[in-house]
Amino acid sequence: MPTPEQLAIDRRAPLRVSVWQVRWRRFTDFTRRYARNRMAVIGLLIVLTWVVVGLFAPWIAPYGYDKTNYNAANQPPSFAHPLGTDALGRDQFSRMIWAARTALIVAPTATVVGVVLGVFFGLLAGYFGGWIDEIVMRLSDVLFAFPGLLFALLLAATLQPRLAAWLSQFERIKPWVRAGYVEFFVVVIALSLVGWPGLARLVRGQVLSLREQQFVEAARALGVSPWRIMWQHIFPNALPPVIVALSMSMGSAVVAEASLSFLGIGITPPTPSWGAMIYNEFASWRSPSAPWLLWAPGLAVAALTFAFNFIGDGLNEALNPQDRLT
Amino acid sequence: MTAYLVRRLLWMPFLLLIVTFLTFVLGYYGPGDPAQLLLGQHSNPEAVERLRHELGLDRPLLVQFADYVWRALHGDFGESLTMARGRPVSDLLKRSLSITLQLNAVVLVVSLLVGVPLGVFAALKRNTWLDYLTMTGVVVAISLPTFLIAPILLWLFAYKWRLLPPGGWNGIFSRNIILPVIVMSAGPIAVFARQTRANLIDVLSQEYIRTAYAKGLHERRIFFVHALRNALIPLLTILGLMLGSLVVGSFITETIFGIPGVGRLAFQAFFSRDYPVIMALVLLIAIGYALANLLVDILYAFVDPRIRYQ
Amino acid sequence: MGRLLEVKNLETRFHTQDGTVHAVNGVSFYVDEGETLGVVGESGSGKSVTMLSVMRLIPQPPGEITNGEVWFEGRDLLKIDKEEMREVRGNRIAMIFQDPMTSLNPVLTIERQITEVLELHLGMNHQQARARAIELLKMVGIPAAEERIDSYPHQFSGGMRQRVMIAMGLACHPRLLIADEPTTALDVTIQAQIVELVKRLRDEIGMSVIWITHDLALLAGLADRIIVMYAGQIVESSPVHELYKNPRHPYTIGLLQSIPRLDEKQRERLQAIEGLPPDLIDYPTGCPFAPRCRFAIEKCWEVDPPLEEVSKGHYSACWVKPEGAEIMHQWHASNTEESQ
Repeated sequence: MPTPEQLAIDRRAPLRVSVWQVRWRRFTDFTRRYARNRMAVIGLLIVLTWVVVGLFAPWIAPYGYDKTNYNAANQPPSFAHPLGTDALGRDQFSRMIWAARTALIVAPTATVVGVVLGVFFGLLAGYFGGWIDEIVMRLSDVLFAFPGLLFALLLAATLQPRLAAWLSQFERIKPWVRAGYVEFFVVVIALSLVGWPGLARLVRGQVLSLREQQFVEAARALGVSPWRIMWQHIFPNALPPVIVALSMSMGSAVVAEASLSFLGIGITPPTPSWGAMIYNEFASWRSPSAPWLLWAPGLAVAALTFAFNFIGDGLNEALNPQDRLT
Repeated sequence: MTAYLVRRLLWMPFLLLIVTFLTFVLGYYGPGDPAQLLLGQHSNPEAVERLRHELGLDRPLLVQFADYVWRALHGDFGESLTMARGRPVSDLLKRSLSITLQLNAVVLVVSLLVGVPLGVFAALKRNTWLDYLTMTGVVVAISLPTFLIAPILLWLFAYKWRLLPPGGWNGIFSRNIILPVIVMSAGPIAVFARQTRANLIDVLSQEYIRTAYAKGLHERRIFFVHALRNALIPLLTILGLMLGSLVVGSFITETIFGIPGVGRLAFQAFFSRDYPVIMALVLLIAIGYALANLLVDILYAFVDPRIRYQ
Repeated sequence: MGRLLEVKNLETRFHTQDGTVHAVNGVSFYVDEGETLGVVGESGSGKSVTMLSVMRLIPQPPGEITNGEVWFEGRDLLKIDKEEMREVRGNRIAMIFQDPMTSLNPVLTIERQITEVLELHLGMNHQQARARAIELLKMVGIPAAEERIDSYPHQFSGGMRQRVMIAMGLACHPRLLIADEPTTALDVTIQAQIVELVKRLRDEIGMSVIWITHDLALLAGLADRIIVMYAGQIVESSPVHELYKNPRHPYTIGLLQSIPRLDEKQRERLQAIEGLPPDLIDYPTGCPFAPRCRFAIEKCWEVDPPLEEVSKGHYSACWVKPEGAEIMHQWHASNTEESQ
């Protein structure tokens, strides 16, 4: 009978893998898992399509968004005007395309404020705990209590006129003020101000569990500074839910923009917005009745929101492999 | 647990005070002079000054704040500035608040009654086409904005087919409420269905469910006694969080359907810059929301033994 | 002793997005009445899945029992209908699980969770069931059972919960208790208590036990026979003392070399088994242990060895069948030299 030493054969190949190979592998794994969710892929395509449409609006749209033509007012859909024209003879199809710009400028900017605040305070509260945690959590209690839209209205009614007056001094910003962007951003930033506690709690929960993990303890034992631990060790691991939340809140920001424009707060004519287009049609539907003007911008908003929600789902599955089977 | 609840209760007055203060400061520094507003742009500065004194607006901020809180505690939120000049805000609020609360209560009941069974159904049929169909419908319902469904439903049911009244308020047992409730419930139904499904699927993969199977229990008993209760407990949290967004969500619906609730009042107040009304609204809803969430926490302790004994 | 359970050629698969997992591959074994069978293997070796398949507790989908027979009390459990199977579970065969923290329902009282078995299988009314449940809790050594029966699981410590699980499992005096790593999640001292408890109750009730573990040492004083599983197959099966004395499968030898021993005078280096178990999706032809095996010959890579008798009642699935006794001896000797 041979001894173990005689029979021992080293079948293990030396393991030499570069960091980039690992990263590439992780990336392809991620895309593969993401691509499994067909709706998520469709969602991504929808968003990309709208981004392209928004970016190239001047070339894609047959007419300018504020090009009026009183000889061709209130026309039904035709070859020249696929969605007809409104009372001022503006081409509705072109306005739809230009409105994509508005939606896609506004949604990310609106989301960023909330996400930055949420991640920052979440990390802070979760990592340091103690009285910092207590303060952040109590602050979030206070903000949670404010009814979002109503708080936004309050801010819009109180701060916005002053801000707008102040900004109007600057010639370059004036057109933006007139287009209603200032009013809109006040409202949206108000929404983010009361919206970040949700994300902060999510991040905090993540951090609380990550903080106890061995790799963080190891880093601490090596004397790595708290901020570095937070950014290099904890933040990347707490990122997946943040990314998912980001995608979902993009969707709600698109809806928020359209809702507010629908209500006449925010983007003001002639700057095109899907919400305002729906409102125009809704307000006057008894007489001319052009239901496609209800459907077209409505479906545009809905499609974009679906897309962000599906992307969120897809990201969730791709980033949390353990949830895959459910 | 008791300690936690006591802490929450002690914190509550401070929370409400901070909320009130923030609201008050915004109203105080924000809009400019109410006296000026009342008397018009080109009025006599002396008259404005007199009115300011009469209204107590020339006192220090903190004094005014204390005064506001004191009056608010007695149900006095000042007078309307522009919408119905001189009318007590509380008058305006009373009716609209009760309408909004009724409307939201109906919506909550409807969405629980539809959403939870829908989620249970999807979880039972999970990964079949019925599940996919239900869940796709749910995502659609979450994504469809109110200002889209509401006009479309109105157009179809009220104008084209003339089946339902286009709006207005006739109490919760009238036909007028059907369309607004459908519009408002779509989102919450979707949220409840989604959450119920996700929780149930999660719970069904838990080891104690396997234990229940190993004991030879009927599938029905496992589902309803062992799984459902565990799956429904987290819904309470969502319920608490939803209360706020629900009330605010009713704003658009109320505006579209012409329901004289808080939402419509808020927009009218906004467009006519009637600050005392907006302030009172923010305050009342914030307080209601905070109290409702406290209630949810207490309720939690009753349904989840793990919390009760912590 | 009569034969209580006989499993023949059991095969279980899981259909996942990444492919089909060959979790259990043609497993055959038996348990006699009153006998205790130890099942050993590392995680993923298919030991739990085998026993869950016996109980038909494999979630379907993604799992599927694709082949085999499970004979128990004259019936093939894989053929009987759902209702009949329910009558077997918890009544004739009970199963307890690894983690007592998660195996009990957190929102139901202990009373509820024990009495429901009694009411279901023995047709007791609530009073009888409650009285019996208190008896059971006393039997498994829970102090102040009368009061504690109304508690919730999280009010118990881990060891106490496992006692509750055992009480629940033994409620109907089953013929067979399947214990799926019941002590893995517990402190060492509590482990010993639980093992002693099961031994005592086994002898009192006269049932058979299948004890799944990855800890070979634990089975020494508990099992009559041991089967060793690897990659969803049985690689060795032997009476307990024979297995410790003269293991004949390289994997078993490796397992034994990795157990720390207190009876050796000199300090020895423990030997780990190098490498990882095979991918159960891309199941290897040939012996699944070959890539990690110090004794592998050409044939091992081509043909999967069958389970063959090496001495009375002792089976090994290996083409080489090295003399474990000799190797262990040499190993101890060389280790001792090195450390001197």
